[in-house]
Amino acid sequence: MSAPASPLRAARAPVAAAYACALVTAVLAFEHPLVLLALGAAILGAGVLAGCGRSLARSALFGVPFALTIALVNPLVAREGLDVVLRLGELGPFGQLDVTRESLVFGAVLGLRALLVVLAGGALLAATVDFDELLQRFRRISVRSALTAALAVRLVPVLGRDARRLADARRCRPDAGPRPNAAERLQIVRAVATGAMDRALDVAATLEVRGYATPAAAGGARRLPEPWSRHDLGFAASAIALLVLAAGARLAGVASFQAYPTTQAAFDAQAWLLSGALVLTALLPFADRRGVQR
Amino acid sequence: MSASTLRLLAGLCAAAALGGCGVGPGNSPSGGVGLTVTRDFGGRPLVERRRAKVAGADTVMRVLQRNAKVGTRFGGDFVQSIDGVAGGHEAGRPVDWFIYVNGSQTEKGASAIDVHGGDRLWWDHHDWGVTPEIPAVVGSFPEPFLHGTEGKRLPVRVECEDPRAGACDVVAKKLIALGVPAGRSTISHSAADNTVRVLVGPWSQLRGGDAESGAIDNGPRASGVFARFDASAAHLDLLDPRGRVARTLGAGAGLIAATREKDRQPVWFVTGTDDAGVASAAQAFGEATLHDRFALAVSQGLAMSVPIQEAGGP
Repeated sequence: MSAPASPLRAARAPVAAAYACALVTAVLAFEHPLVLLALGAAILGAGVLAGCGRSLARSALFGVPFALTIALVNPLVAREGLDVVLRLGELGPFGQLDVTRESLVFGAVLGLRALLVVLAGGALLAATVDFDELLQRFRRISVRSALTAALAVRLVPVLGRDARRLADARRCRPDAGPRPNAAERLQIVRAVATGAMDRALDVAATLEVRGYATPAAAGGARRLPEPWSRHDLGFAASAIALLVLAAGARLAGVASFQAYPTTQAAFDAQAWLLSGALVLTALLPFADRRGVQR
Repeated sequence: MSASTLRLLAGLCAAAALGGCGVGPGNSPSGGVGLTVTRDFGGRPLVERRRAKVAGADTVMRVLQRNAKVGTRFGGDFVQSIDGVAGGHEAGRPVDWFIYVNGSQTEKGASAIDVHGGDRLWWDHHDWGVTPEIPAVVGSFPEPFLHGTEGKRLPVRVECEDPRAGACDVVAKKLIALGVPAGRSTISHSAADNTVRVLVGPWSQLRGGDAESGAIDNGPRASGVFARFDASAAHLDLLDPRGRVARTLGAGAGLIAATREKDRQPVWFVTGTDDAGVASAAQAFGEATLHDRFALAVSQGLAMSVPIQEAGGP
């Protein structure tokens, strides 16, 4: 199934990766619930506009339980907060356990951040960035690192298939009793041999896809730089603007949030403006769809 | 739902209630909770609240956080800073915040200790290069005599060579005037009961009788008291926070100090180099004089905080 065309997919891989990383950085920079919700809206919007809404939904199946776990564990391990809502008494080595409103709120904030990191840094990045292209470009910076990363990325599914084949082969063997007959032995040999050849083929294909088979890889010859497309420029500008907004807001103390001892979050005009600016900055590059349709 | 299930649920609810479980903040302690925050062994007061803000079944940590700006570490279990004064190192010496509840250093983290009505909480930021353990202090007087520890009042006994002698009588009457039913006895050297003992008499009579007096003779590392008598008990060395002798007092010197052995109640000493010193110490035995002091030495009518601060100490 081919991926649907979108401005984010039309951008070069490093730019798309930088855009996703900028979203993750912005999520990690803030604890204010309003800003996190705005960033959540931006990430979901980016996912939908990039045509990877289903990937985000699948990631949410993993991310939501993960976030809930964090939200539930924090009140049990945090000893901070002033407004007690539940007294659990002495719990052996854990000492006295009081669940406070502040630890519940901060647990929810931590859970939301974790969910957004999973969505932006996992689903959005994986669904919109062409890792082959990314690694190929990274090869110009460090050949050995790029080769290692390329092989590792490619070999993960190969190893998965190896495991399935070995499991099939194992099932061919009797648990006890006489040695396997000729047909069963042939199945095992075929599974192992196929696995080995498949692995070799994958490694070779990976190297070729990354361009290691061409003389340029050894000689370090450079291709002519490709001109930046409007989508490259748009998403690069968006990534930089997200980082500048996040850093500027932190330095200026906008959307400040204090978890303990009492929860204090400023829901003032500045926080609303910042939230709106982050959503707008993240989604604006999707407005230009020229040159996207393939 | 079967009867056995109902009984099980009722049993679980009862066990939870007895174990201190419940919804909401719980009941506030009756009576006020005092909070003192100082630096340098009580030498520099930072916060003083005769009735600190308390809400529900608060812990020592939450009371502090309601009344001062607090930075914590280890997940909120330990205090790192109060009103900007942080633990760490100062002038190459290790300093940190320590909490004394009703005059006793706590063994648990501040977030694990409930406060009770009448408790006096004292946070002090001091040099712990000599010892991090100062098990008992006198600066929370009239605690622990009035409200005991962990919300339970404790029996109090004043012990002297002659229970009817002047200094012993002065100390006992001062406690009784505060509403403390203090008993009197000769020096028992008893360590088995749960009594807060006040030993009154010249150090030559008190020393060697029990583990607590032995600890004071062994110095601040053993007792947390930065003062010690010489072999003849005729001289009293007052130490500075680094454990060095800062001043030596002779005849007529008195000392009020407290220490505590593990799993026992504090033992207070109202003592001196001679009878005159003991009488001076007994006269100084009161809230106004002992307030915010780890231990107190008196000589020629002058009260001195122990340990002796290097410069400008009271």
